[in-house]
Amino acid sequence: MEQIKNDILDYLKNNSFMEREKTIDDSDSLTQNGILDSIGLLELIDYICERYSIEIPEDMLTPENFDSLRGITNLITRLAK
Amino acid sequence: MQIVGSRLAKTTESHVKSLSKNGTGRPMDYSNVQILNELNSDIDELAEMIKGFIRDQVTGFKKKGVVLGVSGGIDSAVALTLCVQEFGKENVYGLLIPEKESAPSSKALGAEICENLGVSYEEVPISPIIEALGIYEKKEQIIKRTCPEYDSGVHKTSLVLPDFLNQGLLNVPHIRLIKDEKTVARCRLKANDYLELVSLQNVKQRSRMIIQYMYAEKLNYAVCGTTNKTELMLGQFVKYGDGGVDFEPFADCYKTQIYALAKYLKVNEEIIKRPPSADTWSHYTSDEEFYWRMPIHIMDQLLYAQEHKLPVEVAEKNTGLPRDTIEKAWRHIDKVRDATDYVRIAPPVYYMSCKK
Repeated sequence: MEQIKNDILDYLKNNSFMEREKTIDDSDSLTQNGILDSIGLLELIDYICERYSIEIPEDMLTPENFDSLRGITNLITRLAK
Repeated sequence: MQIVGSRLAKTTESHVKSLSKNGTGRPMDYSNVQILNELNSDIDELAEMIKGFIRDQVTGFKKKGVVLGVSGGIDSAVALTLCVQEFGKENVYGLLIPEKESAPSSKALGAEICENLGVSYEEVPISPIIEALGIYEKKEQIIKRTCPEYDSGVHKTSLVLPDFLNQGLLNVPHIRLIKDEKTVARCRLKANDYLELVSLQNVKQRSRMIIQYMYAEKLNYAVCGTTNKTELMLGQFVKYGDGGVDFEPFADCYKTQIYALAKYLKVNEEIIKRPPSADTWSHYTSDEEFYWRMPIHIMDQLLYAQEHKLPVEVAEKNTGLPRDTIEKAWRHIDKVRDATDYVRIAPPVYYMSCKK
């Protein structure tokens, strides 16, 4: 879990509007904190699918699964099993 | 279209006040407002005010008339009717600007309204421009990459987003394949493919803008826009495409008000009933399926409530939606608005007087 979370955090620091020095809590909203916009979200979904070799079913493309580090980490953990 | 946010807000506020029934200029009591009634009221007065605006703009630009792209949709039908009422049919020129993927009904309805109003019009297909740029081919390649089962001889296609109210899913675009009017596949678009697809599709609206200005300059006319307030707030137009016009008579009118104007002006019922669409996909794709993600009367009430800072209870009473859905929808609208700021804003200018 921790490895996945750090991996996503690295991705966001390198590819989103998140500043490198910024810290966020696991439950902080990525959209409301200006880290992800609509295109950034699509890019993140692409990254997750490729990095973890998973397909995300359409009904799992919810704000709860993608708007925080915790949601994303839980989603990947469930699908990568 | 290039509109600065604060100016729009000011225009909207003054417009709402001027239409308020008390007519005192004092802020209305919105606690019991019936939003749809408010949007559907004083339509005769609204029509007159818009006609005055159109005249002011055209004469202000020292132009002799108006060129209008007539799409067969309700916005251009209402705009055309108002322009004809204000300037006379001799000073309005209609352009039908179809392309290979336009619905045949678009051209037929566009021609019909021009003929009914006695307006001179011309058909200028843009397919040769789109073909010359390889747009259709590139679009086919993206669709094939996204949906490997795609067969251009069998399937029609559209770009859709999930319904917001019933599904609550993220704004993730999918290509839909349709065979015999039935959806046979939905495939998620990758980010790069989505961006390329949007860039290709937007060439259609930008080509139409070029055609409209070619005629406007030849005739010494001004180009009339048709973007309404719902579209403006959601960034539902193409920068330098359908947003590239000389004036925007509807940018302060919600789509609901355009419907009311259409009824008041007795626009062809077939045009009023037709689902609004950008009409750029081989399968006719409504704005509800891609932009609004909910019925327009709900979207307009949510936008109106947000604009007037109405309490959520008032929005609940008006829309019949539960509080958490309204709050989610408002957050969604905020995100869409933020993401489309770039489309609305005029190019920032560096003024030398600002240097220190």
